[in-house]
Amino acid sequence: MNPRVSLCLSLYRRLANAYPHEFRILHGEDLERLGEDAVPEAWRRYGVFGLLRLLADIALRLPGEYLTEIRQDVVYARRVLAKAPGFTAVAVLSLGVGIGMCCAVLSECQAIVGPAPGLRDPATLATFIWTQVSYPYFERYRNERQTVAAAAAVLGPVPFAVAFTGDQSARAERVSGHLVSPEYFTTLGVTPAAGRVFGPETEKPGMAPVVVVSDRFWRTHLGADQHAVGRTLRLNGSMSTIVGIGPKDFLGVWPQSPADLFVPVTCCVSLAPELSGDPLHRSDREIFRVVFRLAHGVTMPAAEAGLDAMTRNIDQETGTRHDRDRKGRVVRLMPAGTVGYATPEQHALVDTFNVVLWALVLSLVCANLAGLLLARGSQRRREIAIRLSVGASRARLVRQFLTESVLLSFAGGLAGIVLAYWITNVLSSLPLPSQIPLEFNCQIDLHVIAITLAIALAAGIGFGLAPALSSTRTDIGVTLKEGAQAPLRGYRRFGLRNLFVVGQMAASLMLLLVTWFVALAFLSTTRMDTGAEVANLNLVSFDPVRDGYSAERVAALVTNLPDEIARVDGVRAVALTGSAVSSHGDATHVSAPAGDGKAGQVLISAYRERIGANYFATLGVPLLGGREFDLRDREQDAPGSKGVPARPAILNQTAARTLFGAGDPIGRRIREGERNYTVVGLARNMRAGFLVTKPVATVFLPLAAEWLGKSAAQRVTVLVRATAGRDTMAAVRDRMASLHPDLTAFDVHTMQEDLDRMNSLTQWTSAMYVILGFFALLLASIGLGGVTAYAVVRRRKEIGIRMALGARAGQVQGLVLREGMALVVVGSVLGVSGAFALARVFSAYSDVLARTFGQRDSNPLLIVGAPLVLAALAMLACYLPARRATKIDPVSALREE
Amino acid sequence: MTQKDAAAFLPLHNNWFHILLSLAGAEQHGYGIMQEVLDRTNGTVRLWPATLYGSLKRLIGDGLIEESDERPVAELDDARRRYYRLTRLGRAVLELECARMQEMVRMVRRKRRQEAW
Repeated sequence: MNPRVSLCLSLYRRLANAYPHEFRILHGEDLERLGEDAVPEAWRRYGVFGLLRLLADIALRLPGEYLTEIRQDVVYARRVLAKAPGFTAVAVLSLGVGIGMCCAVLSECQAIVGPAPGLRDPATLATFIWTQVSYPYFERYRNERQTVAAAAAVLGPVPFAVAFTGDQSARAERVSGHLVSPEYFTTLGVTPAAGRVFGPETEKPGMAPVVVVSDRFWRTHLGADQHAVGRTLRLNGSMSTIVGIGPKDFLGVWPQSPADLFVPVTCCVSLAPELSGDPLHRSDREIFRVVFRLAHGVTMPAAEAGLDAMTRNIDQETGTRHDRDRKGRVVRLMPAGTVGYATPEQHALVDTFNVVLWALVLSLVCANLAGLLLARGSQRRREIAIRLSVGASRARLVRQFLTESVLLSFAGGLAGIVLAYWITNVLSSLPLPSQIPLEFNCQIDLHVIAITLAIALAAGIGFGLAPALSSTRTDIGVTLKEGAQAPLRGYRRFGLRNLFVVGQMAASLMLLLVTWFVALAFLSTTRMDTGAEVANLNLVSFDPVRDGYSAERVAALVTNLPDEIARVDGVRAVALTGSAVSSHGDATHVSAPAGDGKAGQVLISAYRERIGANYFATLGVPLLGGREFDLRDREQDAPGSKGVPARPAILNQTAARTLFGAGDPIGRRIREGERNYTVVGLARNMRAGFLVTKPVATVFLPLAAEWLGKSAAQRVTVLVRATAGRDTMAAVRDRMASLHPDLTAFDVHTMQEDLDRMNSLTQWTSAMYVILGFFALLLASIGLGGVTAYAVVRRRKEIGIRMALGARAGQVQGLVLREGMALVVVGSVLGVSGAFALARVFSAYSDVLARTFGQRDSNPLLIVGAPLVLAALAMLACYLPARRATKIDPVSALREE
Repeated sequence: MTQKDAAAFLPLHNNWFHILLSLAGAEQHGYGIMQEVLDRTNGTVRLWPATLYGSLKRLIGDGLIEESDERPVAELDDARRRYYRLTRLGRAVLELECARMQEMVRMVRRKRRQEAW
């Protein structure tokens, strides 16, 4: 034979043999025989081309045949799954909830530590952890070219009262923005969609005010006007020209606290009251955050070392005193360019806690799915045996089983994505407990969906394979003869399935305990405990500085406002305050001469709150001692000097105890910043704020007009205690509008709404964790139930014999339950110890978690209760198959022998 | 199988038509079908082996042809070959397809006459 023909024939045979098993059973020999005729004929008629054409035909048809079989598999799998709706629903639901939760958690992480949109190469951006610096310091950093390629200073978010110049009658609207150094956009690598961005050449002091607006602002406030560049806006009463529009999605360097307006720091003070007091030339005004673009090839630790050395140098040169710990690094770096200002602590939280939880949930779901598939495989032994005996190959059956599990995974994956969409939508729409605008834009991106589907697929294949292999390893003759039941086999204490169940119980319990620790701790530590009489307490905010008031008018307003509002019909009490409830946003240091005859000073860090007269009375929280601020305190509101008596201050219990021990604080002197104060009152601890576990030292200082306009103070809030059953606030607003037509009242709400807003996030988060815990419980029960049912099916004959020999129903039930119980006990012990170990590991990683887990000792109920609940559910899951075992008819069971 | 079911297969795929036509007279094995189609079409239609068996598998699946259990005399038989024949449905489909084609040819002729191509 011609060597080409024989080569072609051998290739032809190989390809024919590669066709699917069933095709070969039907046409394999025939196809091969045909080749023996067709190959020489093709050579005779068409030569080499004919041989190639023939080989191409058989090779190209090969994948098509496999695809046809896979399609058949899918159709069959769909039919099989539709016939077992209970099994399908449980599998899809458990996969869906597991994957949905994981997907949501991943998206949540992305929403905090993911890269911020609109920035070039965000991985090389860095910023100082917590440290804010003065502008002269920033200029030194910026001019250092070895470690950093560029640097920008940011002050913000700051509010701007925006009025559109075309519309005189419209009231000003508060819009959040950033005050930025001219290098801001070039450092971040942001190119404008229209117009220009700032630069050191264009932005110089004394130039006409300019502003760059975000794409979002351009769309929502400027009607996507194509000629918006060049238009003017009235910002805080000053006219500013729009010189550029930012790129799509760009909302500043940390979009979690978004900025829509960008104003250069070189602008005048009237445009940005935060810049009063010449902070650009003072080393003591540490109000700027610096964003560095690291030089090419410089790592974060190297940059940190360089900047640390530099900061020490500048400290020495300028002689600025800082309360810095000089032993370690004086400044530390962390990555910028993320959506939120996420500290390494938050990163650790995201990276470890959530990912471990996530892995735990997924492994639970997968173990559960595997258990279900195994149990189901054992019920389908007869079907498998019949298919094997009529010629199906084992590979084909394995593929069939895999198709079913992959189909389940995909359905679960889709259900998961729908669930994740829902969760993230709810999360994004939750109001956040903050006075500054915060946005939590939790969206599922394509990466997360791809990862989720890949995980679902891997779970389907990985956990479908073992049951498929084990189910198809069956002796056809024996199975067909014996019916659906397996041959009699003893109970194996350390069988793979039992290990599965123990592992699942342990993992579920760990998940349950860890999530409930967190949930309970969240609930107990974040519940607002202001002690205030919340009913009929209303809040309204003003910002006279940004409404263009002069310093004198602001002072007059702060003095007269309480009286003006108090005269409105229905108002029972009025007080001014810097923030509605303790915001813990303004940290300071307070010192006092050491008591008990000791020399020196006691220095503590405390939060500073600015309040007006009658604050505690209006809140309905009586002081523990001393008096409140009153009108006299306002009159003494002049800069402190030696001749003038010290200003009054009120301490809370914690601050008083740390400063003065058990002694009476009233009348004692304290020093805050550059000023001396006399303690006139003692307030009880009010726990407020987010994730605060213990009361923090707080010093209350009188609200002064001069203080308004500083960067931390962006508003003055009026607390109004109203009479029940009347719309007092409408009357208050009318009165304000008639007395001060140019003053914008904003953020009008009730104290209850404020508290609800604070609590909603924690409640929701806690609810998520509780649901996750319940879900783990449910999964474990389903898994245990499935495995027990499987064991009962496998031991049908043994039970039949026992019953034939006189075993009573109770004894049979006891037998099944005892075995289930042993698994539950072992699983519970492992689970509880695992949960404690896990809590310890997490606590080592994260301070927040350490605090939450620290509370677990106060929850003995949980530690005893959770395993009990789990055990009870598990026993119920065992009981149902156990009861079924007693219904086995010994005669029919034995007849099958 | 009703007449309506047979109509569902129309218009018939070219390969299917040739296979059915080859089996209309007598039972055939795969190579026989291949050769007959080649001869009948003067070499213009060639059913390559995998294409042929792919079509045969589908025709069997759809019930248009079936495997025949009658074998030729022993000296002419090759045990590895399989023989196929038309089912009643297959014959009905072939008849319908032929009628459809004849109708089309008639239409073309009528058109030619009317418009004098």
